[in-house]
Amino acid sequence: MNRRWHPVDVVAGLVALVAFCVIYAPLVVVGMFSVWQPVRVRGSLGLSSPNFDSYVSLAGNQEILGAVYTTLGIGAAATVIGLTLGTVFAFYYVYTTGLPRQVMQALIFLPFLLPPIITGLALLVAFRELDLTRGVATILAGHVVVVVPIIYRTILVRLTALNPSLREASLDLGASNWQTFRYILLPQLRTALIAAALLAFAVSFDETMVTLFLSGSTSTLPIRLWSMMRLGFVPDINALATLIVVAAAVTAICAGLINLRRGTPTRG
Amino acid sequence: MPLSRTAKETSLNWRAALAGFVCVGLPGLFVLAPLATFMLYSFWRNEDGQLVREFTLQNYAAFFGDATFLRVYAQTILLCLGATILNLIVGYIIALFIARRDARTRFGLVLVFVLPLFTSYIIKIYAIRGILGHRGVLNELLMNLGLIDHPLTVLIFSQTAIFIGLVVLYLPFAVLPIYLSIERIPPNLASASADLGGSTLDELRHIVLPLSIPGIILAGVFTFVMTFGDFATPQMVGGVDGFTFGRIVFTQFGVALNWPLGAALAIILLITAVVMVLVAALAGRWSTAR
Repeated sequence: MNRRWHPVDVVAGLVALVAFCVIYAPLVVVGMFSVWQPVRVRGSLGLSSPNFDSYVSLAGNQEILGAVYTTLGIGAAATVIGLTLGTVFAFYYVYTTGLPRQVMQALIFLPFLLPPIITGLALLVAFRELDLTRGVATILAGHVVVVVPIIYRTILVRLTALNPSLREASLDLGASNWQTFRYILLPQLRTALIAAALLAFAVSFDETMVTLFLSGSTSTLPIRLWSMMRLGFVPDINALATLIVVAAAVTAICAGLINLRRGTPTRG
Repeated sequence: MPLSRTAKETSLNWRAALAGFVCVGLPGLFVLAPLATFMLYSFWRNEDGQLVREFTLQNYAAFFGDATFLRVYAQTILLCLGATILNLIVGYIIALFIARRDARTRFGLVLVFVLPLFTSYIIKIYAIRGILGHRGVLNELLMNLGLIDHPLTVLIFSQTAIFIGLVVLYLPFAVLPIYLSIERIPPNLASASADLGGSTLDELRHIVLPLSIPGIILAGVFTFVMTFGDFATPQMVGGVDGFTFGRIVFTQFGVALNWPLGAALAIILLITAVVMVLVAALAGRWSTAR
């Protein structure tokens, strides 16, 4: 589709370029300030000479690093639990019929469709009724509720696209259900599971609007940043933000490439 | 043989029941039960900081009887509709631009416009506040260029600030569904249009636009629901003047600490979102049936 640029493309391209600059401006500013700190010279904004002070100071900031570790741990746990549940739910949907699977699917998708504030508040109220103290467990439960629909959907799409005769052949040849799952179905789901895991981890790492209602004395990075924002940030945050953005970009590109690699052979 | 077969079947039935119990029970426990409890809360009341578990409609009455609530509610709907419409227009143009490139470029461009979704939401709000602030990057830039003499005060802690924040944060949500719907249009329709002497503009108007309506509706629903439920952006860039409905709900669970009232307001927020989804679905059906 190597057509010439029509005037439509020129105009649309200009709009896209402006939009690109606008949505990337926050990220660029943060990255820039992590190396060139803003300084005020007689009231007007100037920039310091380039340095890595903010990165050095971040390495010694135990408060922020602690929150980062908590977030990584909760992200990993939510991803593992979510992958297990998502896979079980997807299999249940594909290999059963009738009302229960429809009810299950509707309930799974709800937190994805509802505004996050509703999911967060509903869990907050429910945990309060159960007299559960807010902490790591409540945050984790909230994150699992948020990531399961994403994982479930990714696996379900792949599972329904699989050739059913492979499973039937395996069962006909005397393999148990477990063997069929382990040696026939799971290998074919591998890329879907990886993509789902990356997506779920990224979502969990950044989850703010549900977590805000579920965190007590222990909080994840976005919540710690949220409470720090009232006071104004230390320069370390710019360094941390830059690192997070780079990590997110690398992860997203990897996930995209996995998807792309999977896409090519089936088409050819 | 028949005996073992029956035994196996019994064990299978038992397993199927267990699977059903887990697969319907867990979502029921962690999604449905909390939502149901939450709805109950909206019919209870708060008295001197104590929760009174008796049925009452006073929380809903409080919303409909309070001019401030109603004004903020209407304002927020308009604000979010505005942000949604702007994002749909810009998102459509971007999606169209991407869809008209060759396959390789398309992949890269989609990644570029979706990537911001995976970068920290809180950090983006913080950066937006830094850019829009009274002595922020944008004001300094405009002053250095000599375009303004004094910093623009409307950029931060106002409804305008919330609008800008929502547009910047949620644009990627509008681009993706529209792009996917344009990409799905069979290319031979474009060739047919060209063969019959149609110009590029004819193609866009009579083929691409009508066939991408489902994508536009999905993008619109997504953007509206997300912006309407967002309380963090208004909380951070809205200041004293920038109250939104989501922020009022949030306040009931924080500073104001009136959970039943907050629950009722949140249910109203939820109903509004559901009504918008239904309206959009009807609009979609109407446009495809034509």
